This record gives sequence, C-alpha cells and structure tokens, in this order.
Amino acid sequence: MAQVQSEPDVVAGDNGQLGGPPGGEGIVGRSPRELIIRRFKRDKFAIGGIVFLVFMILVAVFAPLIANIVGHPPNDVKYLYQMTQPNGLPKGPNFALKFYFGADKAGRDLLVRVAYGARTSLIVAFFATGIAVVIGVAVGLVAGFYRGKIDTFLSRTIDVVFSLPILLLSLGLVSACGATKDGCLFGLLKPGLLLVSYVIGLFSWPYIARIVRGQVLSLREKEFVEAARAQGAGNLRIMFRELLPNVAAPIIVYTTLIIPNNILFEAALSFLGVGVPDTTPSWGKMLNDANGIFTVAWWMMLFPGLFLFLTTLAFNLVGDGLRDALDPRTAR
Amino acid sequence: MNRLLKLVTAVAFVGMVAAACGGSSTPTSTGTPSASGGELPHGGVLKMAIEADVDKAFDPAKEYSTLSFEPFRCCLLRTLLSTNGQDAAHDGDVIQPDLATDLPQVSADGLTYVFTIQSGIHYAPPFDNVEVTAGDFARAIARESDTSASANGYAFYYSPSGGTGGGIVGFDEAKGTVPSGVKVVDDHTLSITLTAPLGDFPWRMTMAAMAPIPPVGDKVLGWADGHTKDYGRYLVGTGPYMFKGTDALDPNGPPTQDPISGYVPGRSWTLVRNPSWDAATDKNRPAYVDEIDVAIGGTATVLANEVDNGTIDIEFGGVPPAQQLAAYQADPTKTAQVHATPSDGIRYIAMNIAQPPFDDIHVRKAMNYVINKDALRRTRGGPLFGEIAGHFIVNSLTGDINASYDPYASPNGEGDVTKAMAEMKLSKYDANGDGVCDAPECDGVLTITDSADPYPAQNAILVDSAKKIGINLDVRSGDRYTFMYDKCLDPSSHAALCPSVGWFKDYPDALTFGPPTLGSAAIGPGGCCNYSLVGGSPDLLKAAGYTVTDVPTLDPVFDKCTVLPVGQERIQCWADSDKAIMEDAVPVIPWLFDKDVDLTSSRILNYTYDQAAGMMSLDHVALVGGGA
Repeated sequence: MAQVQSEPDVVAGDNGQLGGPPGGEGIVGRSPRELIIRRFKRDKFAIGGIVFLVFMILVAVFAPLIANIVGHPPNDVKYLYQMTQPNGLPKGPNFALKFYFGADKAGRDLLVRVAYGARTSLIVAFFATGIAVVIGVAVGLVAGFYRGKIDTFLSRTIDVVFSLPILLLSLGLVSACGATKDGCLFGLLKPGLLLVSYVIGLFSWPYIARIVRGQVLSLREKEFVEAARAQGAGNLRIMFRELLPNVAAPIIVYTTLIIPNNILFEAALSFLGVGVPDTTPSWGKMLNDANGIFTVAWWMMLFPGLFLFLTTLAFNLVGDGLRDALDPRTAR
Repeated sequence: MNRLLKLVTAVAFVGMVAAACGGSSTPTSTGTPSASGGELPHGGVLKMAIEADVDKAFDPAKEYSTLSFEPFRCCLLRTLLSTNGQDAAHDGDVIQPDLATDLPQVSADGLTYVFTIQSGIHYAPPFDNVEVTAGDFARAIARESDTSASANGYAFYYSPSGGTGGGIVGFDEAKGTVPSGVKVVDDHTLSITLTAPLGDFPWRMTMAAMAPIPPVGDKVLGWADGHTKDYGRYLVGTGPYMFKGTDALDPNGPPTQDPISGYVPGRSWTLVRNPSWDAATDKNRPAYVDEIDVAIGGTATVLANEVDNGTIDIEFGGVPPAQQLAAYQADPTKTAQVHATPSDGIRYIAMNIAQPPFDDIHVRKAMNYVINKDALRRTRGGPLFGEIAGHFIVNSLTGDINASYDPYASPNGEGDVTKAMAEMKLSKYDANGDGVCDAPECDGVLTITDSADPYPAQNAILVDSAKKIGINLDVRSGDRYTFMYDKCLDPSSHAALCPSVGWFKDYPDALTFGPPTLGSAAIGPGGCCNYSLVGGSPDLLKAAGYTVTDVPTLDPVFDKCTVLPVGQERIQCWADSDKAIMEDAVPVIPWLFDKDVDLTSSRILNYTYDQAAGMMSLDHVALVGGGA
C-alpha cells in the first residue's frame, strides 16, 4: 500500500526544541497560513501565473503610458493611410512608425489596443466576479444555513438560472439596454462596461452559491457552531462570523476559476457584436475584427488571441495552485 | 503532473489551430472567361450561394429587397412591363413590354393607362393550361391593396396616400378587392386609372407585386387566397424558370397543402425550367442555364473560398472579402472574374434633424464638410467599391446633370476641417465662435450602427472626423436587422446619427430616391426609410418626445417632380430636387456612389449585370461548354 507523503508540520529549528539532538537544530512550528504560502510557492506553474497576471495588471494600468510612448492613442486613425492598403486591408508590424503589433482596418495601433483591451477584460472580469461572489455567497449561506423551504426556494432559483440560455439572454439584455442613453431599469443598467459587468455577474453567481451552500450544509453540524449557539450567538452572527470564514478557502479558489470564465464571457459578447461600447477596445471585439482576414492579417488575430489565452490560462493555473495549497489532502 | 498536462494540452491546441489556419486554399479555377463570338451555349446548372435568405419567403407583395428583385425579374415572374436584364450600356434601364404587347396607352390627362396583354401566355404547371388574362393582373393589384398581404412591401407606390404623388383610384378602400380604378375591359385589355398623373407609373408596373395571379374558381385572390402569409411558398409564375416541385402543387388543393419542395426557407432554392415558357414571347430573357441551385448560409469568407475552389459560381448579392479580391486582381488569369458595376445605390449617413445638435442646419453642413469620405471608402475596400459621392441622387437617374455637383467638396474627399469649422461658427451650438461645438448637446451624440464589417472601422473614422468640430459620438452597434433598423426607424429612440445606411433604386427613376427616403410618409416605425425625420409633423415629433417640432420638409419639392411625364423635364426636376436635398434640408451626408463587386468562377461565360435589379443577371448568364 502506497504511503501518502505529507508535509511535516514542523521543521528542525536551531533552538534544540521538540526532540532535536542536543546542540543541534530545533523544530519551529508553522501556522496554517505559512503552510499554505509554502505549498503555493512550490507550485511553479501557479507562480508563473501570478507573475503573468501581475504583468497584465501593470499593462492595463499603464496602458495610457504605453500609448504615449508609441504616440498612438487607442482610437487614433491618423495613420489610416500609412497602415492600411488602398483596398482597406491592414498592414502588419512597422517598427519605423512604432506599430509593433501592426494595425487594424482603421489604422489603429494594435499594441495599444491590446493593452487597453487588458483593462476592459480585467475590469469586467473583476467587477462581474465581485457581483457574482457577493450574490452567490449570500444566497449559498442563507440556503445552506436555513435549509427547509428557504433552501428549496433558493436552490430552485439556482437551478432556474443555470437552465437559462445565458448567452442569448445576455445578448438580448445588452442589446436592449445598450441602445439608448438611459439604459434600462430607470437608468440602473446604463450602457457601457458596467452593463456588461452586471449582466455577466448576474449569470455567474449560481456557481459560487452552490459551492457555498454545500460547504455550509456540512459545516453547520459541526461542534463549533453548536458552541457558538450555546454562547447565545444569533443566526446572522453564526453565518458571518463562524461559517463564512470556514468557507473562505473554496470561495477564493472558485473565484479565481470564475474570473477567466467571465473574461471569456465578455470576449464572447464583444465578438458577437454586443458587449462593451464600440470605442472601448476589447480582445473579443478585436478577434471579431480579425474574422475573415486573419489569413492575410495574422497579427489581428494572433496578439489579442494570445493575450486572451495566456490571461485565462494564468488565472486557471493560479486557481489550481490555490486549490492545491488550501486543501491538505491533495496528493503531491 | 496534472498542471503540466494542462499546459501541454493548451499548447497542442494552439498548435492545431495555427496549423488549421495556416495557408490558404489552393485555387483551382484558371482561365479567363470570355463571351463567345456567336450564340452562347444553353444548358448546365448555375450554382450559387447566399449568406442569408430573402426576407419574406418570396412573397412578391412583401419582398422589398434587392436580393429578391433579380430572381423575380429574371426567372419566376413576368409582369406587364419589365427590363431586358442588362446593364445601362445595353439599355438595361429602359422600360420594355413584357407580358404586355407594348408600352401602355396613356390618356391625355395622364390619369388612365391601358395595357394590352399578349395572347397565349400560360402559367407554369400545375396551371399550365391556364392562359394569363387581364383579370389576373387585377387580382395582383387587389392583393396588394390588402395591408396584411402587402405588409412591409411597397404598396405605397400604388396607394394615393402613399406619399409618392398619387396612386390607383380606390386602392386604399379596396382592402383586398379589386380597386375601383382597375377595369378589366376584356381578357386582354386592362385599364388603370390614377388619382394624379404619375410619370413613373409604368415603372411601378414592373415590380414583382404586379405579376399576375392564377385564377381559382371565383375566389377574389385566386391562387393566393388563403396564403396571406406564405404565398411565396406556393408561387406560380410565367417566367422562364419555376421552383422545382411547383408542378406537384394541386391547383384544387387546400391552402394547407404542402408547399413547393424546391424552396426550403433558410436552406436552399432550386429553380428549374418552366415548361410553359415560350422564348418566342419573351425577348428580354435568353435563359441559358437549365437550372439554378442556391444554397443559403455561410460567411463571405467561406463562400468566397467556395467560388475559389469551384464549389459555387458566385456568392449572390454578397461582398467578396478584401483578401480574395486582392488575390484575384493580382493574378492575370483571374482578373476577368472580378466584376465591379455601378449599382445605382448610395451609401450615406443619416442625421436626425429633430435631434440636437443636428436640428441646426449649420451643424449638418459642417458634418458634410468634415467627414473623411475617402477613409470610409477605404475601409469598404477602396475605389473598386465606388466613387466618392457629393450629392444624394445617383447620377444615372438624373442624366448626369449633377455629375460634378458637390457642394461640400474637400480635397480627395478626405474632409475639410477649415470649412467645417467656418460652418460650425454660424451654428447656435458654437457660443464662442471658435468653430468647435461647445454645447452639451454635442456630447454623447447617440449613433446607431451595424456591428458587421466594415462598420466598426468606419465608426472609428466617423468618431475621429466629428471630434474635429467638437461633436462626440456615442456609438452603439448591433445586428443590422434586429437592432440598427429597429432603432433608426423608430423616432422615439432619438438616434441622432444612423451612419450604416444605404439606398438603392427600386426602378430606374429618381422618384425612388426621393419620397421613400426623405418623404414625410416614410417615417417609421411601421414605415421606411426616412431616418432623418424630414417633413415630420409637429404632432409626430411631439409624440416621439422631441422638443424640436418644426423641421424642414421636401414633400413639395418631390411632388412637383412626381407628376411630370418621363422625359428631360422630369430628369431636370429631380436634379434640382437633389440640390434642394443637399442645400436646403441637408439631412444626409452621402459618401459613396456604390459599385456592386462580384467574384465569379471561371465557368461563367458572360457575366451580365442587371441594372434595374442591381445584381448579376441570372437569365443572361451562360456557362462554359453549356455547363458540361
């Protein structure tokens, strides 16, 4: 029978404690947080993902600086005649004019638009995920804690949202609310990045809700909950002070795994012609623009596609790493 | 290990995608198609594809798109009058008798038209024993007067209240019966009386909705009875072709019998020879090929590849991808397969003249000056796709009188910021007179566009151009049919700018450019296609929520030309109305006189352009070796 090699809870220290040889090194205890960090650090792929994500965040933050350096704002069409052919086909990388990634059909700098596209993707992803987490955690906590009719109602609501044709509904909502200045719902859903974020968040909370509900269902039977109740803690206190911290780990993991889905969701909406406003660069929109001409304008598909691919991969790797680091039962 | 496997899988996937996308299809078509010196060969199957089906399933009373005009004219439906299916150089824009023996006799007051119908013309099977008579045309007019049957069509051309200067007496009251102004004098004589003289009335009788409908018993609408919504799927005509399976229809069967098998909406249509058609009675249609197969679906790129590898002969009604065009133009063996013909269409930007800041004529003029039309054309494909437009009505419809007329000309069509700013200074929205709009109305100007190529690139150019005079566009894009037209045709959407629009003639008369696009009766929703709200009444504008309720109208200008008989005076009148459009109302920014660009396979022997319908002429196309 194979032995499961597990991380030792203590390591040798130099104070001679915990059974170390006289005069030799002692054993130092590590907190759960330190162990998690240590396990995470051992995962080279997750670290690579973190490094890449930090790089992308910096690119997104400093996108205006990049535009300044190369001298091409993201929607500038000044170089239309230099960077497109007379038949409208765009031209590729031109180092002399500082178009390092080439241009699109309107003669706009693809490098700058990829950088601004990172902003779009990350803003929408984080904001939409934030909405999903807030709603999902609240619903999951309540459903798992109260059980009974409340759980039944909320669980069926989750099932209904799961069964909705999400892409079609998103297309319809964004189209309908994106057409007028005032948007929908008395101005609550205004056209723009926020609208797209709301829509994406509205359809991604069930994943978190189900995870949280499952965790809460098992945790609510534990002794610490009984102890808290014996001490006079009310339901809200138990949910938010006792249960929520114990489901934080899976929430964090699934949040990092939902983010890339939301990035792809936004890219899909933009690819289909809805999504962020026209003048806001988006990787999905850029991929749509490349549609049909990528055989002669490969840069229009390569660069936004590559960054989209690497960003979602990075989030996935980080999420996997977090899951392995947080779960002590994972085989290494 | 799992992580590594994920990475390897991801890299492998990317590699597969790169391999799949690498390289282009190997062209197999060679040779330079050319017309033979003598008679062209008959025979063969013309293979075509279209990206999307016709709008209204070939119901002639409802179909109002170019894509349907050609199959109706060339192949399925003969009408009293028609055209010869060729380009303008070969009199393709000259009206010809078709089922009529000659052009109509017109009374001295211009109100009554008498048509004499050819004898011995029979319908396609299963009505091949039924001769076409005058009553069949009366039946078609009756159906056109049924607002349900002709919904979204062009009944306004026959309705006295349609805003086109007049119509058939009694048409509006008929509601599915024969209008009082239509008289069947005898089996081969039809008389039509109008409410006002209409110089272009013969052209209105060339439209597919005027094609005869076979009789069935004593039913008012004959064979069309019971088919208000789906007549196209049971269409029986007199053209050289019919839908495959038309002969299987039961003329005595119920309206609910199975429709024609050769037309599957959204999937395919197959046209085969109509055995009842007699070439001796039809000098307009040579009908060389034996069959026309049309597959529906695919993108422009996919269909261009199919033309390239010989699967199809043409993507009908589509726009060839830029990279394919570039490849064909660079290859001497293929340049003859690229065809660019003036389509008698205009591409333009519609400004809502009731929506600030475009309620100010100086702003509208400034926009005309500042827009970089050449850049817009470049994103469309360059000079091959048309000429820069300086005015609205295409030159061929006004005898080239306005060929050099461009009141807002700029160097190379690239826009003139100096003149634009000078015009803007005169506007109420430029308080400090610096030539740049400084009013809040110029921020967030709602602009509704099509999201398909090439409009995203065009939007960037528009935004950049407008910004130069301080107008900041808020661009919203979506599907052309479910979003763009929906918003642009609805006055209550307050779309200030609709830049992705175009207009093509319905028939070769300038009237088709006037009232249908800028007449007050063409304001939606429910109507089409006056996006600019020219001539909008105060009540209509108030009901749509506008504070501006007094806008210019062009109706009197159009009415003056409408009554004139065909001839030089009429042409001059329309040329003058074009100037009124561009200088007095200025509701549009015309930027391209469109050209139709087709890529054909090497099998097509004589590409011919149908100037009237604005597409390749299907009945004039012959195949190399008769398709063998």
